[in-house]
Amino acid sequence: MDRTQALLNTLYQEAELLDEGQYRQWLGLLAEDICYRVPVRVTKERGPEGGVSGVMEGMYHLDEDYTSLEMRVARLETGFAWAEDPPSRLRHFVTNVRIGDPQPTPQGEESAVRSNLLVFRSRWDRPDYTLLAAERRDVWRYSPAGWRLARRTVILDSATLPTHNLAFFF
Amino acid sequence: MARIKTGISPRLNQMLEELLEGIEDGLVPAWIFNDPELFELEQQKIFSRSWVYMAHESEIPQAGDYVLRYVANNPYIVVRGEDGVVRALLDMCRHRGMRVCRAELGNASHFRCPFHGWTYRNDGSLVGVPAEREAFGSGFDKAEWGLRSIPRLEVFDGMIFGNLDPQAPPLEEWLGEIRWYLELVTKRSPAGLEVLGPPQRWVVNTDWKLALETFLSDSYHTLMTHRSLIELGIAPKDAKYAMYGEQIHIPGKGHGSMVVGAPPGAKLPPFWGYPEEMMERSKASYPSREQFETAKETRILLVTLFPNFSFHNPIRKPDHKYQGTVPMLTFRVWHPLGPGRIEIFSWALVEKDAPDWFKEKTRHSYLRFFGSSGTFEQDDTEIWSHVAHNASSSQGRTLRLNYRMGLSLEPDPNWPGPGVAYGLNFTDANMRNFHRRYVEMLLS
Repeated sequence: MDRTQALLNTLYQEAELLDEGQYRQWLGLLAEDICYRVPVRVTKERGPEGGVSGVMEGMYHLDEDYTSLEMRVARLETGFAWAEDPPSRLRHFVTNVRIGDPQPTPQGEESAVRSNLLVFRSRWDRPDYTLLAAERRDVWRYSPAGWRLARRTVILDSATLPTHNLAFFF
Repeated sequence: MARIKTGISPRLNQMLEELLEGIEDGLVPAWIFNDPELFELEQQKIFSRSWVYMAHESEIPQAGDYVLRYVANNPYIVVRGEDGVVRALLDMCRHRGMRVCRAELGNASHFRCPFHGWTYRNDGSLVGVPAEREAFGSGFDKAEWGLRSIPRLEVFDGMIFGNLDPQAPPLEEWLGEIRWYLELVTKRSPAGLEVLGPPQRWVVNTDWKLALETFLSDSYHTLMTHRSLIELGIAPKDAKYAMYGEQIHIPGKGHGSMVVGAPPGAKLPPFWGYPEEMMERSKASYPSREQFETAKETRILLVTLFPNFSFHNPIRKPDHKYQGTVPMLTFRVWHPLGPGRIEIFSWALVEKDAPDWFKEKTRHSYLRFFGSSGTFEQDDTEIWSHVAHNASSSQGRTLRLNYRMGLSLEPDPNWPGPGVAYGLNFTDANMRNFHRRYVEMLLS
């Protein structure tokens, strides 16, 4: 299997881990120098050159490194993380995957990967649910053990979030 | 039934009587947290007559800077004019009602309506009407057709408040003695505060009063709601840590504060754990020695202003492995959207003259524990939403909930600050004070 196919498989494997709440294993897919960010998005006028609008510098919904992500996972494992206990029924739909050419870097070979994401979230016994759409702009790094996520910026398609907390991962 | 008011249905009036009668006995009926008729009355009697927090001056430092904010269900452009004056202009064209502002924030000298092109300067005055003479004749007076300003706007230490009631008392009178506690944050540095970017905004299916109560008075919930963080060693091991503090309310105003020190035996740095240089500067900037001495002993400070503003300023660190402390400060607006539904506006702020490394780290202390993804706050919003849901059920709404904690406490005569203070933070005193003011406004 070539590296590109392996990377695509890794994206789907990651989605499965996130759907099933296997967060400790998910951490295993992350590079130790990971930068994981979900910027605040606001409504702005269309810029002269078009493009993605209203992605704010400087304020985020999540701005994480490996240590803080590990802390969030450890919290979910305590049995007292009420926001996700009982856990939400989550489904991560990963589509429109665009894999860039691998580039050599001092840390190893890296590929820029963009994907579209739809997260379905349903809690308790209620029929209502929330949907969050986003684009993920990732950098994945190749290692002998497989591809590892080195950077992720999640461009949310909501200015005001339609869900009561972000107790899960994108 | 002496208080029956015209314009309030007998059903609602009876329910408010029940609330009023129960407060002194520490009983609050659950229905107040999810009721459509009460929601409408709150909009009219409370949110149309109270000073509501809109923005911080640091969000709009330059002429033309603006942010879009809401008071009750009214959209306002909070904008700094070319003259440097901050105004709040209703985002509704005077011609045919379209919104004239097409962004949540930005900089603009003018706002042009996309409907027919009426154009307003950023002080609200109408300056452009397409084909003015042909369409409206020579007698058309543009001065009469400017954007409508919010009836009242005042600023306290950079905090911009609006009020829909032209007859409202001045902001200073509205705040009263809570100023002393606000100043512990707003006057900690002579340079004042600045926001770290725009607010996070998200919706929660709950009532604004439930969110507010937690920040106003509920030190008791930390031991169970936030137990995950105690388990991880992120919150103090002594689960009663939030009990060791002072709870203060301002009678007649509805405002309150919680000032929490170090739990017995815990070694925590003074002054929230702020860097020493910041503490030094505060000596000169605090208006009184009592405030400086109180700040020195403070590790967690919360202030809530009636009706729907809170700030939270706890000692923290960016993650569980970080050596040292980096406190954080968040401002909140608990904005009611409908019965059982709110939008939270959450800002992070920092002293303008804080070192750059501190500004970066305090953002992390905030994001990882509070706000939309905060590991404390995630569990709060989950719980608030279930309480509001239960409060709408036919049996649940008739339950009277227990607000009796600390009913027999005597005020602390030695507390140096104003207001009524209790030396034990496990009390619902601030909530009872809030609900007294709340009913009073609903019935007046």
